Amino acid sequence: MSDRIDSLLGQALAILFALGLGAIVILTVDESPLRVLVTLLNGAFGNPERIAGTLLQTTPILICGIAACISLRAGLFNIGIEGQLFMGGFWATWVGFSFNLPPVLHLLLAMAVAIIAGMAWIAIPAFFRARYNTNEVVSTILANYVAILVTSYLTINIFKRPGGLSETPPIHESAYLPELFSFSRLNWGLIIGLVLACAVHFFFTRMSRGYAVSEMGANPKFAEYGGIDIKRQIFVVLLASGAVGGLAGGVEALGVHHRFMEGFAPGFGFDGVIAALLANGSPIGTIFTALFFGALRSGSLLLEVDTTASREIITVIQALIILAVSAQITIKRRASDSTAGERRWKF
Amino acid sequence: MPFAIELKSITKRFGSFVANEGVNLAVERGRIHAIIGENGAGKTTLMNVLFGLLQPDEGEIWIDGEKKILPNPAAAIAAGIGMVHQHFKLVPSLTVAENVFLGMEIRKGGLIDHKAQIERTASLSKQFGLQVDPSERVGLLSVGIEQRIEILKVLVRGARTIILDEPTAVLTPQESRELFQTLRGFVAQGMTVLFISHHLEEVMEVSDTVTVLRHGKEVATRPTAELTKSDLVQMMVGRFVSFDRRPRPPTSGKTVLEVEDLWCRDERRVQALRGVSFKVRAGEIVGIAGVAGNGQTELAEVLSGLRPSSHGAIRLQGRPITGLSARAIRAAGIAHVPGDRLVRGVDRNASIALNMLMGRQDQKPWSRSGIIDHRYLTEQTTALIKRFDIRARGPESPVKSLSGGNIQKVVLAREFSGDAGFLLIDQPTRGVDIGAQEAIHGEIMRQREAGKAILLISVQLDELSALADRILVMFNGTVMGELPGDRVDEEEIGMLMAGVRPGSGASARGAA
Repeated sequence: MSDRIDSLLGQALAILFALGLGAIVILTVDESPLRVLVTLLNGAFGNPERIAGTLLQTTPILICGIAACISLRAGLFNIGIEGQLFMGGFWATWVGFSFNLPPVLHLLLAMAVAIIAGMAWIAIPAFFRARYNTNEVVSTILANYVAILVTSYLTINIFKRPGGLSETPPIHESAYLPELFSFSRLNWGLIIGLVLACAVHFFFTRMSRGYAVSEMGANPKFAEYGGIDIKRQIFVVLLASGAVGGLAGGVEALGVHHRFMEGFAPGFGFDGVIAALLANGSPIGTIFTALFFGALRSGSLLLEVDTTASREIITVIQALIILAVSAQITIKRRASDSTAGERRWKF
Repeated sequence: MPFAIELKSITKRFGSFVANEGVNLAVERGRIHAIIGENGAGKTTLMNVLFGLLQPDEGEIWIDGEKKILPNPAAAIAAGIGMVHQHFKLVPSLTVAENVFLGMEIRKGGLIDHKAQIERTASLSKQFGLQVDPSERVGLLSVGIEQRIEILKVLVRGARTIILDEPTAVLTPQESRELFQTLRGFVAQGMTVLFISHHLEEVMEVSDTVTVLRHGKEVATRPTAELTKSDLVQMMVGRFVSFDRRPRPPTSGKTVLEVEDLWCRDERRVQALRGVSFKVRAGEIVGIAGVAGNGQTELAEVLSGLRPSSHGAIRLQGRPITGLSARAIRAAGIAHVPGDRLVRGVDRNASIALNMLMGRQDQKPWSRSGIIDHRYLTEQTTALIKRFDIRARGPESPVKSLSGGNIQKVVLAREFSGDAGFLLIDQPTRGVDIGAQEAIHGEIMRQREAGKAILLISVQLDELSALADRILVMFNGTVMGELPGDRVDEEEIGMLMAGVRPGSGASARGAA
């Protein structure tokens, strides 16, 4: 228990440290950090519409964060969630505009295809990791670029909406993920994310398979000794992580944009990974860290209107948080390096 | 004449682990001095201290009668010490001469003088009988020749004392013999050789003086000629004194485990098992003795499905289990207490309860339809903590908060509480305090009374003579001989562990 408090304290300090440095950066552009903070809070939570806007930004980060949690708990690092999201988003859209189906069925089919697309996109890195122990960090990050370019090619060269922008035709309404309120595009994706976080939490804390996966993450040699088929499990876990990444894309396409376009989801996959790292790989914790990043993104919209600070300050703060968190990871790994077989990604 | 090297009560700790404790070592000039000990006895640590790679926590280093502080290998080299590591550090795309002079090239007008380098290499190689072609590319050469290049590198840097860390581990018997020739040539020319090994024959063959290390301490330093192989074995593994033999009724169970002509390779693709055969009956403890590193670890890994065998058969209750997965072998009825308990045996960061769950997380009543019954797990763990007398606050205490002996009890509790008919127990009391050792021995005896077939692998002879009904002695991947557990002759077992069959006088290693 004291471990958990220690680690929460560590994360909080990392965030405070980053915000402190961010304040110094803001001072250098002759703006008041306090005013920026107030504006950010106002922009993120100032009225119901703004809260809904924050939650809208939170949703894809949350789902991507859960995808990251699944791999992190297994001692793996799927950093290709961005690519899985693009693939899931594109193919869900494709189902959405190519077929005419009854409402619920159409939506479910599009979601299923998004999940399959995410899985397919991680299948090759997953296979090579399981079979030949190829570093999944490198292979999944490379797959990101391919995914972004392939979906862009498909959008511009094959499925482009006649006339106008670089985007696909809109999906049929039968494939829409329903909105929650009349005043916002906030949709059922948030509910999906929250349910998923609870389900993954249950899986890791209550289920036999979840136990096998987290023991593999904690000490692979122990898991192997206990009769767990490591190679098979690595493959399955990475596919599951990719599936959730694809789902994030599906939710974004079917719930928010109703089409696929270039620059479809700017960095949600990466934000998800950071949210999961910041939450120590806990899906419940990721709900809160995703909300934090969602609020930063949403609050920054008001920043340029009300202050002289640029929206990019948010990117700077995020980068500082990554820096602080990864420094913390490094320190902890050093401290626990004395024993063999520890989990590879130590938070 | 002062000693070439004198280490005075060197202590080196890594955290709470003491690798060297008050080690004294005095090496006379012009001698081949062997340092022998089991894996993990602290040989390499001591040499790294001498070579400036590690700083001792206590103690002094004297070289040629002068006290030295060696903050780094450069200082050691300047003091005339050279080290040939177990793993060579050569550039395959460069020539022999370029490798020898790497980092200290002979220059002429700002350019490397290749001709001078080649000549110098050739003359050194001639002087010391280290045959190499100076202009050949290293990538094309065999391991034995690579080692010669490593030695040349040391010589060219002006070493008068050469440390060789397990130099024969990678060599063929012929290459080893040539190496010994070279080493004798060195001392004939007034140099000093420090030779680390855990192979007795080599030490007997080549060294003038031998120092035995055990558990990080110096046990003895003697002229090699005064010692026999079995003396060395006893000094390396310790004499058996501490435990009384446990009384027992005779055994007459049916055969549970049958191993037939088992072969396998280790990580370096070297044959680790060479045709091992034995049987274990119900209600019987069969001990496996031997100096560490003679195939015992690999035997345990093959039996538990963690390492593939290359040949042979394993039968459990008459059913072949060769080549099955670790999971299938567990299901067939093998419980395994691993030798490296902190690496394989537990998840240190998890609670005792979660450690008890390993291997049975899919079985009723531990889980139902994929969902773990945490209440049952807590109940069972509480009962096991009581039954095995594990000193812990409760089932939720993390394993890392326990002492070594109690961590081992966690492993035993998990493995002995299943219904496996065969127990594979590897080093049950390594690093465990005396009190816990008694308790663990008592538990193993109870398992015997319960009719379990037990294979007990241990490097501690006293443990085997206290517990085993029969003792098989392993040497170099084979079973050298069998002794009854109640009449262990110290002399005889020492000879077998050294690879000598009593009466024959010949070493089995030469033939292998």
